[in-house]
Amino acid sequence: MTNKLTRRAVTRGLALTAGALAMPAIGRAQAKSVKIAMIAPMSGPWARQGQLLRMGAEMLQDDVNSGGGIKSLGGAKLEIVYADAGDSTEKAKNAAQRLLSDEPDLAGGTGAWLSSFTLAVTEVTERAQLPWLTLSYSDAITNRGFKFVFQTSPTAEHQAAETLPTALKLAQATTGKTPTTIGIIQDNTASPVSFAKPLRDGGLDKLGLKLVVDQIFTPPLSDATPLIEKVRSGKPDFLLLLTSAMPDCKLVLEKLDEFNLSHGKVPLVGNGAPFGSPELLKTIGPELLEGLLFSVANWPIKGQEDFIDRFKKKTGEPFLTQDGLCGYGEPAILVQAMETAGSADRLKVADAIRAMDLTTGRAAQCFPGPIKFDDKGRRVDVPMIFAQWQKGVPVTVFPTDLALAKPFWPSV
Amino acid sequence: MTVSQAVRRQLWAILGFAIAVLALSAVLRSDYFELVLTQVLLWAVLSLAWNILSGYSGYFSFGHAAFWGLGAYTVALGMLHFNLSPWVTIPAGAIVGGLAGALIGFPTFRLRGHYFALAMLAYPLATLYVFQWLGYQEIPLPMKRESPILYMQFSNPRAYVALALGLLVISLLISLRVENSRFGMSLLAIKQNEPAAEAAGINTWRWKMLALILSGALAATAGGLYAVVLLVVTPEAVFGMLVSAQALILALFGGVGSLWGPVIGAAVLVPLAEGLNAKLGNVLPGIQGVVYGFAIIGIILWAPEGVFWRVRDRLVKAKLASRPPAKPAAVPVAVLPHERRQPLGEDLLVLRDVGISFGGLRALDGVNLAVPERGLYGIIGPNGAGKTTLFNVINGFLAPERGAITFAGESLVGLRPNQVCRRGIGRTFQVVRAFPRMTVLENVIVGAFVGATDDDTARRMAATAVDRVGLSARADAVASGLTTRELRLMELARALAPQPRLMLLDETLAGLGHDDLDDILNVIRQLRADGVTVLIIEHTMHAMVQLVDHFDVLDHGRLIASGPPDTVVRNPEVIEAYLGKKWAEQVSEAAK
Repeated sequence: MTNKLTRRAVTRGLALTAGALAMPAIGRAQAKSVKIAMIAPMSGPWARQGQLLRMGAEMLQDDVNSGGGIKSLGGAKLEIVYADAGDSTEKAKNAAQRLLSDEPDLAGGTGAWLSSFTLAVTEVTERAQLPWLTLSYSDAITNRGFKFVFQTSPTAEHQAAETLPTALKLAQATTGKTPTTIGIIQDNTASPVSFAKPLRDGGLDKLGLKLVVDQIFTPPLSDATPLIEKVRSGKPDFLLLLTSAMPDCKLVLEKLDEFNLSHGKVPLVGNGAPFGSPELLKTIGPELLEGLLFSVANWPIKGQEDFIDRFKKKTGEPFLTQDGLCGYGEPAILVQAMETAGSADRLKVADAIRAMDLTTGRAAQCFPGPIKFDDKGRRVDVPMIFAQWQKGVPVTVFPTDLALAKPFWPSV
Repeated sequence: MTVSQAVRRQLWAILGFAIAVLALSAVLRSDYFELVLTQVLLWAVLSLAWNILSGYSGYFSFGHAAFWGLGAYTVALGMLHFNLSPWVTIPAGAIVGGLAGALIGFPTFRLRGHYFALAMLAYPLATLYVFQWLGYQEIPLPMKRESPILYMQFSNPRAYVALALGLLVISLLISLRVENSRFGMSLLAIKQNEPAAEAAGINTWRWKMLALILSGALAATAGGLYAVVLLVVTPEAVFGMLVSAQALILALFGGVGSLWGPVIGAAVLVPLAEGLNAKLGNVLPGIQGVVYGFAIIGIILWAPEGVFWRVRDRLVKAKLASRPPAKPAAVPVAVLPHERRQPLGEDLLVLRDVGISFGGLRALDGVNLAVPERGLYGIIGPNGAGKTTLFNVINGFLAPERGAITFAGESLVGLRPNQVCRRGIGRTFQVVRAFPRMTVLENVIVGAFVGATDDDTARRMAATAVDRVGLSARADAVASGLTTRELRLMELARALAPQPRLMLLDETLAGLGHDDLDDILNVIRQLRADGVTVLIIEHTMHAMVQLVDHFDVLDHGRLIASGPPDTVVRNPEVIEAYLGKKWAEQVSEAAK
């Protein structure tokens, strides 16, 4: 089975390459196919994330087509066309404009990973009334009054507001006690600053948390000792770690270990998918990461075990992350919309997405909470996911009904 | 007038270019290609803006993203916070860019060369972090469904092509105007030899500042329109290294310091990079950068100064080859029947107890000197005696540590070289400081600006000066191809052009053969016949003895002798200083 699939994938890969050279001919030969687009950074500093997205998308294309294509369209084959968003907003926008010019009958699309790229891309797709799905967090994406943009992740502001309350619930559920003191270690780059600002401006008080350690540094961090000394003397119930560069994160974790505060002695909480990347594992190692918790928009959850296995086997990745998951899930939403609409017409596909309320099926499985969008294009009732590094793998531990493992939160 | 003809030709070229772009835009059948065309035009404007500062003046900027970004953010924030239309904020951005240019130039022009370039690098990088810190990571320009045109939001992409083209045409016209005026000429002079420019009376500081302000304003305007086209502004996208590099690479590729170089660079490289991205980006990610890099390396190897210059040199060569070889023009030299002696006047230049030292070395030590009006005075002394230092102190390259220097009763101490020049003191240099890529006439025009209120007068004065030294036949020759004699004459003409009262000639006769020597001597005699006061440093004794009225002899920074030539050359102290004790003894014996 696997063999067969692989061979088919290779053949299709070859066909695609040939297609790049002789597109019109192939296009006519496969008259019954529908096209959707994926724009992601496949070169430049974010190339790795783009490749993970693409891996997910290629798996979905195989799954749909080997399962008989899109049934309500008479078994039409799914074809995903890719464009490189590169390393700048200008390139991302050009990629979108090019796709729309080259592929006049796209049914929808997904991308472009980085928020600023997505903002630029959707300026183009919105004007072309092309339904567009994105995992990017920025609130601005769905604050512009656009009608054809759908954000599958909770927005950055939502994540910032939900992370600590969820962490407290997690602690309560695990230990029976709610933490009352917190420490914050953060760098002064944009996203940690905007994450922590509402917390200091009364957010912590509302949660009944007392800020006992508050350390802000300018990256790159040269020595974490003064920070960690503060942690040792302040003894917070848990520590919010908001770093944006891996070397800084590593320094902090190493120093915590040196001070004998690691392995969850002081529970650590971060935010964002980078805290669960295979690169972090490579740089820092499973020992130091053990116990680190992080909130994230989407992470492999209960019910996806089979998919996780297939993904790992197919791609050789150590574990599935948000990127691979959304790379599979977002095109799946578009496929589902075409199934429901019985059409590959972009306006009808957009209508179908707006009317969507899915809790089961291939698309729904890829996301926590129902696939249901509000007027702005944001998903409703999305729980905040928490994952925790356990034995070298970041696994979802909260909310409990979606968790793949039990969290541990040592009581101090 | 050859110049205005050249300008007219350029104006036609700009018109032709604009029509070609509009025609191309009309033919293109895809929004995508229109978008790329718009980007080509906008990047060309940025590169032209960069060229006005860096191409002409030679002050390389690695930081033009600062202006581009400020323009973009002026538009984005104006729309976000105040609902202002880009029709208003783009011109406002130009003002912001110009102000930023002034603010940046003020401290940064203290530096030169690589230090200036690297300091410029800091500005966009610093601003990038400031805008991040202010929370302006991602500013989308709100979509205006009600009155899109009022907010420069067109559904037809050709409108953006037209806007960007308009901006490019304006930039080309500005560049053309700069190139053909005192402004551009001064910048070129600064690029080729800043001390010479300063000594020729050019207020280098002022022109550099003006260039940066103009350049900043243009770059900001383009950045503002870029924001409108891209619709999303992020600090990385507008203040990032890529933007600064783009400005530089396009101009380097197309031809630095030329009107069309940046346009050529943008027209080739922007579509090339985008095409490679489109064709290879999703097939072999990253390969587009490699191909792009090789393309640039290849072109730079083939045309190190840029495509424009390479092609122009080819064309010029072809044109020359098709013509019969022209004989080098014989240079008629003003032959004087005999010197008319004019009576000497009051003391024009007076030095009192002037001293300066470099570390422990006393380069000038209590020098007293007085040169009367219409005098032809020589300064002699062995190597290292402090002769050139004396000139540098007089014309403002160096400030004396003590003593007084007055010229026509006015103190010169503390003035910058161009201010000294403005008061009527011209100078030449020991090693000729020419502007090698300019013609003889242009070299001299640079010197004439100081004495002329407008460019035409400067041109006339320069022509007269070239004529006076007998170089008229070579007026259109490029300075780098001149002989030593011609260079010396040209430098004389440059110093002469603004009609100075005093000329400082630093070893004007050095390195000349016997026949050449006479030409120069004749010119100097003519000068003094015309009533110009001359102070000359020279080694060639026999020539000097015939030439000057009076010798001042320097040794180890001190004045050791002063008087008429025949007395001074017999002064044993002078002979000793020049030739050593042995000679001094021999001479005194021979005299007995």
